Parts: sequence; C-alpha cells; structure tokens
Amino acid sequence: MTGTWYTDQEAHAVFREANEAHARGELDAAAEGYRKLLEHGAAGPDVHYNLGTTALAQGRLGSAVLHLEAARRESPAADDIAANLALARSRQLDRVVGAPHPGSITERLAHVTPLEQTGVAFLIIWGMGFLLLAARRLAPQRLRLALAVGAALSLVVAVPLGLLVANRAWVDANVREGVVMVKAAPVRAFPSESGSVEFEVHEGLEVRLLEQSGGYVRIRLPNGREGWTPADGVTSRNWTTGGGSPTRGSARHGSSSET
Amino acid sequence: MRTRRTGSGGTPSWGALIALLFAAPVLAQEGVEFSIQTDSRRVGLEDVFEVTVTAAGAPADAQILLPGSPDVDIVNTRSGTHRSISMGSGAGPSIRTVRTVSLQMRAKRTGTIRLTPAVLALGDREWKTEALQIEVVRGSVPGRRRPSQQDQDPFAGLFPPGLLDQLNDFPVPRPRDAPAGPDMPGVHIPQREADVFMRTLVDSNRVTVGQQVTMSVWVFSRAEISAADAFTLPKAEGFLTEEVDAPTQLASQQRTIDGVPYRAYLLRRRALFPVKAGELTIGPASADIVTGYLYAGEKRHRKSRPVTITVDPLPPGAPPGMAPMQVGQWSVALEASRTVVELDQPFNVKVTLKGRGNVRGQTVPKLELKGDAFRVFEPKVEDQVDTPRGRVQGSRVAEYLVIPKRTGTFTLPSLSYPYFDPETRQYEVARSDPVQITVVPGRGGGSPVAQDSTQLEEPRDDAAARNVLGQQQGPRPIRVTARFESPSPPIYGRRWFWPAVFSPVMLLGLLAFIQGPGRSLLGGRKGDERRTLTRAAHRRLSAAVKLKDSGSQQAFLGEVEKAVLAFLTAQLGSPAQGLTQQALEEKLAAAGIAEPTRARVHRVLETCAMGRYAPGSGSAAAREQVLQEASALMDGWSRS
Repeated sequence: MTGTWYTDQEAHAVFREANEAHARGELDAAAEGYRKLLEHGAAGPDVHYNLGTTALAQGRLGSAVLHLEAARRESPAADDIAANLALARSRQLDRVVGAPHPGSITERLAHVTPLEQTGVAFLIIWGMGFLLLAARRLAPQRLRLALAVGAALSLVVAVPLGLLVANRAWVDANVREGVVMVKAAPVRAFPSESGSVEFEVHEGLEVRLLEQSGGYVRIRLPNGREGWTPADGVTSRNWTTGGGSPTRGSARHGSSSET
Repeated sequence: MRTRRTGSGGTPSWGALIALLFAAPVLAQEGVEFSIQTDSRRVGLEDVFEVTVTAAGAPADAQILLPGSPDVDIVNTRSGTHRSISMGSGAGPSIRTVRTVSLQMRAKRTGTIRLTPAVLALGDREWKTEALQIEVVRGSVPGRRRPSQQDQDPFAGLFPPGLLDQLNDFPVPRPRDAPAGPDMPGVHIPQREADVFMRTLVDSNRVTVGQQVTMSVWVFSRAEISAADAFTLPKAEGFLTEEVDAPTQLASQQRTIDGVPYRAYLLRRRALFPVKAGELTIGPASADIVTGYLYAGEKRHRKSRPVTITVDPLPPGAPPGMAPMQVGQWSVALEASRTVVELDQPFNVKVTLKGRGNVRGQTVPKLELKGDAFRVFEPKVEDQVDTPRGRVQGSRVAEYLVIPKRTGTFTLPSLSYPYFDPETRQYEVARSDPVQITVVPGRGGGSPVAQDSTQLEEPRDDAAARNVLGQQQGPRPIRVTARFESPSPPIYGRRWFWPAVFSPVMLLGLLAFIQGPGRSLLGGRKGDERRTLTRAAHRRLSAAVKLKDSGSQQAFLGEVEKAVLAFLTAQLGSPAQGLTQQALEEKLAAAGIAEPTRARVHRVLETCAMGRYAPGSGSAAAREQVLQEASALMDGWSRS
C-alpha cells in the first residue's frame, strides 16, 4: 500500500474512470482502477463490490470471492453483494464434502460481533458507569443510592461488551482465513516439493490458514481436511475494518498486496 | 466319382469298395485293390478338400506313396486299418486288411491342380491310381467347409518334420517327389525291453536361452497297457517348466517304430524354458507299466533315457532393458479404463504383455508416472496362459489403480519391451502407444448453487410474451456511486481506544485524591464511620439495660464496659480497647477531652472493673448508678 492517499475528489475521479472502463468492457482497466483506490486509501464496500464484480466477470474467482466477501463484511445487508458472492461461490470448482468444521465458540462469537458498534457502545457505557460513581461522591446523601445503582448497571452492561471486543481482537490475531487465488494449487502432506500431493484446491475456495513454513502455508478446508500448499497461491482475507488490501501468502506475517 | 483299375489275376474285394464315394482307379492284382478318391473336384482357395487312398489286401510291408502337388498344402493326415471278412463261393471266408490314408488339403492357387498318382509299392511291383485334377476357384465353394482347429494335426508342430509321419502305425509314404527320410530318428526299438519301453522326446535338441523346448514322455508297447503307476517326472534342472498336457487316462495311438507297430501312450507333456546356456540334461522318467487286465495283468518298471539339450546363449547386441528370459514374440499394450477422469476419482491402467514364450517368466513393463499428477498404487498381476498345439502363449496383465491429483491433460508414456525372437534370431522391441488422460475437476457447486438467486429458471410458457423478463442470470451490475472509507485499524487497535478505557478509572481515582483522606475512594466519609461506631456503642448500652435486672452482674458490667470503650473508639478515631487506664487517660487528654469528662470515664470503667472482680458489691442501686454514669458520659459527650 502506498503512503499517498487520494483526496475524496481524486477518489471519485478514479472510481468514475474505472466504471467507464467497465462499461466499455475493458475489465482489466476497470479492475486496475478499483485496485488503485484500495491502494491509495479509498476503500469501502462500494469499491470492494465493484472490484469483486469485475473479477467475477473476468473469471477470476479468487479475487471475486475475496473482495465480495470484504464488501459483505462491511455492508452485510446489501443484496447485490450477497447475490454476486453466491454466484462466485457457485462457480467455484471444489465441492467440499462432509460436515463443515464448526469452529470454536469464540470464533463464532467473533464472526457475529459488529466490532465498531460494540466497541463504541462499550466505551460509552463504561465511561458512563465511572461518571456516575464520581457524581455519587459529590452528590447529596439522598441521590447517592440512585447514582450507585446507575453506576452498577452501567458497568454490568459494559463488561460483557468489553469482553466481546477483546474476543474479537483475539480471534483477529489468531484465526486467519484465506482464499485460493490460483487456478489450481496442489495440497501436499508436507511443506516441501517432495511431499505427496494429497488433494488439489482451486481458485475461489475459502480456507483456514493455520501456519506457515517456508514457502508453504498449512490450510484447513471447512470439513477439517488439512495440507500444505504454496503460500503464493493463497491470499489472507483478514483485512482491517474499514478497508485495506488483503494480504497474500501469509498466515501471520504477510504484507504483500493481492494482485 | 470313383475310378477303378483292376490288376491281373485279382479278385475284387467288395468290402473295401463300399465306403468309396467317387470312382477311382483300382488296381486288383492277386487280391490287391488300390484306389484313390476325393470328396470334390471343385473347391475354393479357402476350402479344405480330402483325398483318400485305400489299399485293400496289400501286404503289411507294402509302401504307399501318397499323391501330392506343389500347389497344395497338406493340412492334416489321418490313417487307419480295418479288416473285412468276405465269404467266397466254396472257398470259405477270407480276411482282408484294408488300409486307408486320408489327406486333407488346401489349394494354394486358382486354376486346375493336378495331383500325382498314389503308388503302392511291394518289392519291385507297383500299383498306381489315376492322377486327380482339382479345379480351384477363389474364395469358397458353397457347401464346402473351411479349415478348423479340429482339422489340424494335433501333433503338427510338436515334432520335427518327418518324425510325426514315422509314428504312424504303418509306414506312410511321402509323395513320390519328396525324399524318403530315415525311419523314426531318435526312437528305436531297444534290444532289451522291446515289448514295452519309455522314451522322453523333445521337439528340439538345440535352443537358445529362454526358448521353449517341448518335452513329451511316451510309453510304447506292443500290447495294450492298463495303467502306468508310480510315474516319476524327469528332472529338468536349469529349466523353467510349464504344463502342457497331463492326460488323466491312458489313450493309445498307433505308431510304427522301426517298421513295427506299437501302441503309444502319452504320459506327460511339458514346455521347458532353459534359463542358462550350456549342455542341459533332462533326467530319466520312470513308471510301473501294467499290461493286461485283472489277473492277467503284469507290471513292469520302465525308465526313459536322459536327453541332453544344447542351449545357446543370447547373441550379443541386446538392447537396453533386455533380460535373459525375454525370449519369444511379444507385444505390449497400455490401456486406461477411462481417458477423461475426475480429480481424485480412481481409474485403472492396464499394461498387457502378450505373446508366445514363457509367459510367467516375463516382467511386465512398469508404469512409471513422473511428477505429482497421479498417485499410482502397486499393480495386480494376472496371467492367462494357453498351450495351443503345445506352444506356450498368453498374456500377463498388470492392472494399476491410479488416482489423479492434478487437473489437466497428461500423457501416459509409451512402454517398451525388448525381447529376442528365436525364429528370426533377432532382437526386437515391442512398444505400446501412449495414452492421453484428461483430468477434470470434480463436479462441485451442488447445494450452494441451489440457493443462488441467479440460478436459471425452468423455461415457462412465456414465450408468447414480447418481452420476457426472467430473473437475473449474471452478476449484478457494478455500483456507480461510492462512499469511500479510509483504511483504519479495528477499534481496539486505534490509539485512543485504550486511553478511553482507562481514563474513567483514573479520573475517579483523581477525584478521590482531591477530596482528601476524609472520604474513601467510593465516596464514604470518616464521620460516617464514627457515627456507625457510636450507634453500635449505644446499642450495647441498650443491651446492658436489659441485663440490669435479669442478667448477672458480670454480664451487665461487661456490656457497659464494652459500650463505653466502643464509644471512646468512635470518638478518638482509634481503638480504645486494650489500653491501660493511664494510656487511655493520656489519649483522652491528647484529644483535648475536658477533665470532668475524663474523670467520668475513669469512674465508669473503675466501677465496671471492680464489679466484675468483686462479686456481691454490685447492688441494684449500684447498677443503676453506673448505667446512668455511662449514659451521661455518652450523651454529654455528644452534646459537647
């Protein structure tokens, strides 16, 4: 990501040019424009949606799933995002058979936690609780009991909200998900060329990234099947809230841009 | 059609003529009748026709020279002998021997073919038949039969040319233009045990390493034998063996050895494949031969002679990958059960080695697939061995289970198999054709697609409408307006988040600090504690009032003392219990308590102490007085 960010005016200009390229059928130019916006700090669900939809039209399922999922996270209720994301997934070649791995309760809780809203609510209620405690010190005797009750209620509500935020922070730091970005990637038993090929995954498949060793990353399919695949064929989709480019080929330390 | 020529002085034998279909020249001289017949004068190139030569009343040592032509192939030869009894007028019955030789032939060209006459020679006398002329056309003449396996001589190919003919029950003459060979080379009547003897015959005494030698163990007997017990196969060291024929019942065949008719019994026939060069010996076979039946039977132990085989090494110039046992005629084939397979779906690949030679001694070329596109499991090898006409042939199939691990189009490479052909005495290399395999991804997208709102609808009867608007079939369009958001870390990663979390706690602590030590952190005052202790002292004093009349003196005074000390603790801000009278006095003085009050404290505590240690001194009036003193102390204190 470059250090120069577009102004709002510049961003709108680039966005408009990319849309016009898309309208002319110049999908590569359109995708390049949307990608520039992300690289220059003009992110958001609209940019991710357009980039994912353009990739879908190009047949690049990996990029399509990656950016449409990013758009869905930022705008969960948008039906056009959901439709195109479902279309991209339906075109994915791999059919994962077997019961999906449910994941831990902390992961499931983190996935349903709206981080921004929860964090803000936590800070407000938390601060209000202590404000009431301070007011109780200064208030006359007849108001002190009411202020104490109000403070206790505020803190009782604030503490679970804080735990939700902390859980989300832990999951973000320890659980990585990714998308296969190459047409086909072998999955081996060991992180080496000499490792036997256990199975093959294809572009657009969403996997869990477990660890990295050399040029390989250990992935886990939704049904629990695991193996090592070249790291440059998988992109982490653990983007930051509010935009940003996903990282490629890294379970924990990746920083290169998705191309 | 039949022609007949009668010799001078001969008497016709009607029994020998009954079976004849066509007229043939017959010689009848001194009771000898000699004729030839054919089942057809017009045949096709693909047809087999039969020529039968019959000699009736000929002496046993008479030689028959069969008809022949360079334009025909003799497919099969059959011969037989039977005796006929004819009743002559006034001379009694006469017994005649009728010999029949049938030749099954096939023409090699079209046109008219002339067969040389058959000749019956006895000493310096000869009887001749006519020369048959056969018209040969292309293809097959309707009604004619084509050659079948049954028409083939079962011994053809098993023995060297000439040896088979000499195993007939009487000398079968060759065509006149063919040279007469020696009589039964290699098989002669032994001087001893001439009535029954055993022989091990081989079809060739000189072979190459890996080339087949067919070994047969025969018993020749003048009389019929009923059993061959304790049969011991000859040892054949240096050979790999393959069973060809192992009769379960003795069946005799008429053969002639050195001009003497014998019954021949095949005991075992095996194919031998030498594994090394040099002089290899097949050891003797032995058996107990039983002649006759029941009580007339006689058992004789017989042993065959060893046979030596000269095995030549393979010639130089072997191609790479050549093994010593790769001898014969071989072909190799590569076959996949499917050429378009799904990823991770197993399929079979067969490598078939087929041909003539030691089938079980061959090693099927290994299927080696480089790279990681396929996982190949160990093959399952199956052999199919057959021995038609005594020659070992068949196939060896290695069936591999292969699982594709990569998508794409791959080529299973051609397999090669070098071998030495003993017939051409040259090295050959059999090669298979490469096989192309296309691996496609497995069928996916089942259930998720079903929920896809973009899935195509079933066609409906809306075709009549002018503008049919179905559901969205492709991706939804892009957005034309955007609201941009700068990338930012999650809320817990922003710089102000943690200060915002801890600042309320710090602010509360700062407020408590500012308000000074008079209040606790949560807002409590020290005066509140004093009031609490004071109230507790008053509650104790009330309890002492209840003990004034009903309780013991010690309990009453103890309660008064505790009430006063609790009161003093509340007023002084430090515990008064446990202090000596003097220390308490000093503490009260230091706290600025007036002298009258200090004196009252002193009196009350003295009274309580004395009352507890001097029982009986505490009357009701005294109790009332100390109670009033304590009450006055606490009330007056509070008022001051």
